[in-house]
Amino acid sequence: MLCTKCGSENVIIHRKYSGQHLCKECFIKTLQRKVLKDIKKYKLIKKDDRVLVALSGGKDSTTVLDILSILSERNIIELEAITVNEGIGDYREKGIEYASKTCRELGIPQHIFSFKKHFKITIDEIMASNPSRKACTYCGVLRRWILNKEAKKLGADKIATGHNLDDEVQAIVMNYLEGNIENLTRIGPATYSQKFVTKIKPLREIPEEEVTAYVMAKGLNVHLEECPYRKTSFRKKIGTILTGLRKDHPTILYSTLRGHEKIRKALEKELKEESILRECVRCGQPSTRDLCRACTLLGEIGRLQDEIHSHNR
Amino acid sequence: MKFTLIIDDEKKAMKIKEKLTIKDVLKDFDIPLEAVVVKKNGEIVVEEEQVDDGDIIEVIRVIYGG
Repeated sequence: MLCTKCGSENVIIHRKYSGQHLCKECFIKTLQRKVLKDIKKYKLIKKDDRVLVALSGGKDSTTVLDILSILSERNIIELEAITVNEGIGDYREKGIEYASKTCRELGIPQHIFSFKKHFKITIDEIMASNPSRKACTYCGVLRRWILNKEAKKLGADKIATGHNLDDEVQAIVMNYLEGNIENLTRIGPATYSQKFVTKIKPLREIPEEEVTAYVMAKGLNVHLEECPYRKTSFRKKIGTILTGLRKDHPTILYSTLRGHEKIRKALEKELKEESILRECVRCGQPSTRDLCRACTLLGEIGRLQDEIHSHNR
Repeated sequence: MKFTLIIDDEKKAMKIKEKLTIKDVLKDFDIPLEAVVVKKNGEIVVEEEQVDDGDIIEVIRVIYGG
């Protein structure tokens, strides 16, 4: 078996969805080119953008940082990293160590924020109080609140996240199965809003196993542990089903993504109302309701005293 | 023939009589190919790669997140 591109015998990956066999060098180049091509195709970044990578130290965000550093080395963009410590035992501490090491090695400035400082509570403490919702709900909403707020303060034009193809397809299937059809209109390569910093997903068309292979092939230092709260999540169940389906249907992730792109346009016409963003009455962040989602969740767990949250305004 | 298998940081000394490929090894442990990246003696390999005497085979699970 030879590399489809250069004929080398040292093939490291077989892309079943395209039939390609690739050696290490051709795989790295091909993956980087695909990501940079998608950035151009979906107009995710423009020259002189100040891009903040939401960096956890895991494989996906480290790959985004590594590939975007190609653009910053060519002085096309200004690149920095933003890391959020949600307070998940040793797991997050270890991830931050990896993230900081990568930033030092690449010479990229890193900004670190924490749930403890912003909300005076960690995810571990929230979950110890037996709340009504799952950890991923609190974690995702509160992390996005910090990212939105701090990215704006830092003057960023874009926040780049590590969402890969598997993440996107899982989100499409999850939202469909749970009947959250309005959410399907919000899934895409970029999330634009006048009041928030635009979020972009450069790895959206890269399968998760290829992101793993990329960090291995490049010898990037990443945190490969699984979040302890992920083990029981609905997303994990959907991910396991999709992995099983891919065995006999190798193109299923791409076909689901393309199918979603087609129906999204129709759904937008049917469902998407121009929601008017105003300021959350407690924290001042943009929100479609009086209380933003983060303040609503903090209220549910009895953490919405003025001194905790509104001082961050 | 002997080889070392590393899965989830656990090392196993394996003894086999017949020749195996990476695909056969994963099948024995009921691990889906789509959910892992495999290294043989430190280099990433494809599922068709043959396991040889003295090889160190490392199975890295594709973990969500990061």
